[in-house]
Amino acid sequence: MSEKAKKRMLPQAVSGEKVVLFLAIVFVFILFTSLNKNYLSVTNIVNILIAASLVGMVAIGHTYLIIAMQNDLSPGSLAALSGVTVALFLKAGLPIPLAIILTICVGIVVGIFNAWMVNKIQIEAFIATLVSQMIVRGAAYIICDGKPVSISNQAFNKLGSVRFIGIPFAVWTMIICMCVFGFILSKTKFGRSVYAIGGNKQAARLAGLDPQRIILTSFIMMGILTSMGGIVFAARMNAGQPAANINLEFDAITAVVLGGTSFAGGVGDMTGTFIGIILIQAFNTGLTMVNVSSFWQYVARGALLLFALTSDYIRKQRREKELLEASMKNA
Amino acid sequence: MQHILEFQNISKYFPGVKALDNVSFKASGGEVLAFLGENGAGKSTLLKVLNGDYQPTDGKYLLDNEEKHFRSPHEAIEAGVSVIYQERQILMELSVAENIFLGRMPVSKFGVINTREANERAAKIIADFGLPIRPETKVKDLSIAYQQMVEIMKACSRENLRVICFDEPTASLSDDEIESLFKVIRKLRDEGKIVIYVSHRMSELHQITDKVAIFKDGRYVDTVVTKDTEDKQLIKMMVGRDLGDIYKNLDRNKEIGDVLLEVKNVSSDYVKPVSFTLRRGEVLGFSGLVGAGRTEVMRAIVGADKMKTGEVILNGEKIRIRSPKEAMEHGIVMVPEDRKMQGILANLSVDGNINISLLDKHSNNIGVIDRKAEIEQAEKSIKEFNVKTPNKEKKIVELSGGNQQKCIVARGLATNPQVLILDEPTKGIDVGAKSEFYEMICSFAKKGLGVILISSELPEVIGLADRIIVMRSLQVSGEISAEEASEDRLLSLGMIGEDENE
Repeated sequence: MSEKAKKRMLPQAVSGEKVVLFLAIVFVFILFTSLNKNYLSVTNIVNILIAASLVGMVAIGHTYLIIAMQNDLSPGSLAALSGVTVALFLKAGLPIPLAIILTICVGIVVGIFNAWMVNKIQIEAFIATLVSQMIVRGAAYIICDGKPVSISNQAFNKLGSVRFIGIPFAVWTMIICMCVFGFILSKTKFGRSVYAIGGNKQAARLAGLDPQRIILTSFIMMGILTSMGGIVFAARMNAGQPAANINLEFDAITAVVLGGTSFAGGVGDMTGTFIGIILIQAFNTGLTMVNVSSFWQYVARGALLLFALTSDYIRKQRREKELLEASMKNA
Repeated sequence: MQHILEFQNISKYFPGVKALDNVSFKASGGEVLAFLGENGAGKSTLLKVLNGDYQPTDGKYLLDNEEKHFRSPHEAIEAGVSVIYQERQILMELSVAENIFLGRMPVSKFGVINTREANERAAKIIADFGLPIRPETKVKDLSIAYQQMVEIMKACSRENLRVICFDEPTASLSDDEIESLFKVIRKLRDEGKIVIYVSHRMSELHQITDKVAIFKDGRYVDTVVTKDTEDKQLIKMMVGRDLGDIYKNLDRNKEIGDVLLEVKNVSSDYVKPVSFTLRRGEVLGFSGLVGAGRTEVMRAIVGADKMKTGEVILNGEKIRIRSPKEAMEHGIVMVPEDRKMQGILANLSVDGNINISLLDKHSNNIGVIDRKAEIEQAEKSIKEFNVKTPNKEKKIVELSGGNQQKCIVARGLATNPQVLILDEPTKGIDVGAKSEFYEMICSFAKKGLGVILISSELPEVIGLADRIIVMRSLQVSGEISAEEASEDRLLSLGMIGEDENE
């Protein structure tokens, strides 16, 4: 193969990963449809999208954080806390917009707290957010005394049921957020800075960026997205449940890594995350529909994450090998 | 039998860098062999290849005529090859004896560790070394010198020790401690071991080594007998003179203007108070040994490290800098020494790397980047700095070291600075690219920039700087004008802190 042909193939190889993911989705659909005819029905596909909506919101935040070499294990707890909070505000008679805004502020506070632990006490994000996972979950139980808070405000509950062009509000929220945050990631100063600090924090700082501020902003974004997701989830359930959304972050991280965002930092994009979300939710829904016991579903989800991490590792190895070959040519 | 260690055509590549280039030579037991060379000449890389930390890209090494291929330092130690590093590699919470016999403590029939036997055996080794320490003492309670001794004893306690390497062992030792280290090294030599000694201190080479192997730019130059070779000749071999003419041809005709930057008593956690001034159009050289505090002063000035005392005055106005970002806004830019760790953004393209400091300039008020402006800038920089890359989308790590460095300098220059700080800008890059950098540095000064050039290569500082500040032990030890500068004077100021001419 000529040098030129090789060079042209390189960008194609990258998008080739997306094609593989897409084929994986097709495979999942064929597999589960053959096991259960109802799998390919419109109702079920909409169900998959609904189930994907909350995970999707969280995965948007994870895409930023993981590219910046951070992580967040607290979204499950925060989504639950947000649901309970908005339910309590509505119960107290607050108008809907105010209840939503105040709840989103709770998400912002959690984001600031996470970033503070990472930036100022220099705790690894993985461990730092384990702290907030516990504290925030505890807070969700404390403020409602451990009991679900039902929501009787019908106008609010409509957020959970209303549809435009047959697609539920929750799904629209995720799709719009994905487009907006995908644009920010690829086209703006902030997005570029996220890639830069994920690639090399020290170098980025010497080049005039402010890594701590970028990390803070990313965690705040994650807080906002998770709270929004939690609010819509509560509207769907007509209640705020303190025990809900456990392991939410697990599915989100799996989706993000499946979509090609690397734990090594500095690499990834929103399209990949979107495909990852659909893939994982199609998988999870399929398992339920063919009556795989929930015990085995845990094992299957773990296996899927292992698969995602393995492919991340292989991609990393390949990148490094390509670089070494390139540099040997130069030297 | 005399031990023989032989390297055959060893090469080691890292992305963008050729760290070792076809190195072949032999070392024999019963003599102390020094590795001498500038930073980045490949000494440490060769040690790491030898002890299995790195795998050579090409070539092989033989120990006693037997080809070896260590996949980890552990395997190398098992085979009798130990490297003693500057940073201690021992476990502070364990006792001296436990460290010496780490991983192979004497055990009873039932697998229970026999501490008493370990202590007895350790005591014997300690007595052999003639040291006043006890085997039960925890290593963290020992001085740095004795901690190092524990490491050496650990290596020596292996019956099969054949090769022992010391990487800058005296960096943190006092004179007395150095003397007792040398005693131990001589003892090892007399036992017929192959002793490899890496150091920058010329005086030590004559005290302790029998032969010197010289490295330059990843290549092995020659081995000479220490006592038959003068320092000057050693330095000449290690620096090489193929750059001599380049300096003569440089266009250094320029006007040195008013004072641009005044640094008064700037210190940080890593450097003592330092003062100097820089004029417009001036190239101010910073010379001295590695670790003398040159980089640290600059890091304090640009806000990369927290400034503890002192002030920075730019154009007669006192400024306060708390981060590299603020330094950049004031027009002070630093191109760091460690390209890989602090310079390049490995995940981004050439384009992305050049434009990263210009995000504010290239984006509108809601933060959307103007790609057209970025592309223009990237193409302009690539042309201006003669970056050899097939296109601007190429990942920066795929370029050679010199071209990567050009991108980093281009990144800094694109912000239109008044003060440009270059920290070892030509480290690890080939001769051709070096001369391009020299021309660039002269042209920056000609345009009226104040350039600070930190360099360990003496001819480079002498050939480029208008004035040279020498640092030693975290403070300024002297200042010399370009006309008066000689390698001897710089070396004696940098190593001993005395000016030979005074």
